[in-house]
Amino acid sequence: MNKTISLLIAATLSASAFADDGKHKMDHHGDAQMNHAEMNHDHGADHAHEAHDHSAMGHDHGEMMNAATITHTDEISAALANGGAPVVVDVLGVVCDFCATAMNKIFSKRDEVAAIYVDLDKKTLSLVINDGSDLSDKQIEKLAQQAGYRIAAIRRDYEAMGG
Amino acid sequence: MKTVLLKIAATSLIVAMSSVAQARPVSYTGGWTLIEVANRAATAGLAHYSLTHNVSVGLRHEWQRKDDVKLTAIQPTLLVKRWFGREYQGNLYFTGGLGTAKDESPNNRGSDTASFVGVMADWETRTLFVSYEARFLEQGALGNHSMHAARFGWAPYAGDTGELHTWLMLEVDRRGHFEDKTSVTPLLRFFKGPALLELGYNLTDPSPLVNFTYRF
Repeated sequence: MNKTISLLIAATLSASAFADDGKHKMDHHGDAQMNHAEMNHDHGADHAHEAHDHSAMGHDHGEMMNAATITHTDEISAALANGGAPVVVDVLGVVCDFCATAMNKIFSKRDEVAAIYVDLDKKTLSLVINDGSDLSDKQIEKLAQQAGYRIAAIRRDYEAMGG
Repeated sequence: MKTVLLKIAATSLIVAMSSVAQARPVSYTGGWTLIEVANRAATAGLAHYSLTHNVSVGLRHEWQRKDDVKLTAIQPTLLVKRWFGREYQGNLYFTGGLGTAKDESPNNRGSDTASFVGVMADWETRTLFVSYEARFLEQGALGNHSMHAARFGWAPYAGDTGELHTWLMLEVDRRGHFEDKTSVTPLLRFFKGPALLELGYNLTDPSPLVNFTYRF
């Protein structure tokens, strides 16, 4: 029995050593701001909020100060550089790679989606919507439900990029 | 005749119960899952398709090695309830099955209608996991079995998307038709992308545990 337990512990330690397999996530806000500036979005007072149902989402703008921003992968950065619109979705219940796989499969089928990344650390779904396309909050909510999850908040444009 | 009718009624009830309830495993809408399970009691394979995010239908083939009985069944599974939180997820599933069981041993007891119902509940964060599952199987002349199993798991680190996730787990199961009714199996779970592998060894009833799941 002791030998079995020792083997289990040794195998776990070996596995954790190989855990970081070179994911290409980049949390550099410098790039985020650069891409944001290039996108020529109108961030004025009449910034389009009509699709957001903030009361339903259960958040207030005070929380936005600590809200997670878009996760920069190579794919997402490239889609932003091509004029895509950033969207960050706070997702509830995302705790494992099966959750990420489900979200990836469901959202990737949509023509409007240029790039996608599920970030387990931030509990967010980062999307880039193709230039000229639209994916409403209701559509995002429905797609998340098809994947088996529920959304807590949606941020777009400058909020998604971190202001 | 009366016995046959009672059997049909009982089986129908079981199937109906499993249909209205929900069961593990269920994937995303339109997703396929392949599951292989090998433990001290059986070696089994299940392929299922998720019709929606809370209903799946699959085909199960199971070899109960102790009695040398092979079961083939259609298995619907329903996710009854999912609890969501920023840091956790909890699930309650009901499952059931209807098919045939065949005795492959020299006893040659023939084949019989088989049906089962099951329940599974789990709760997990990125580093803690607890679950309970039970299954009640009826195979007529080939034997009726019940199984209960509980698990506790701990991950030494929280793996991010696409990384290798590793869990240390301990499973305690109870099977009334075994000599060692209650047994303990420590196991390791490795999880990466769409694939999950579990390797363990039953300390009470010496035998390996090898489980594999793949989603696509």
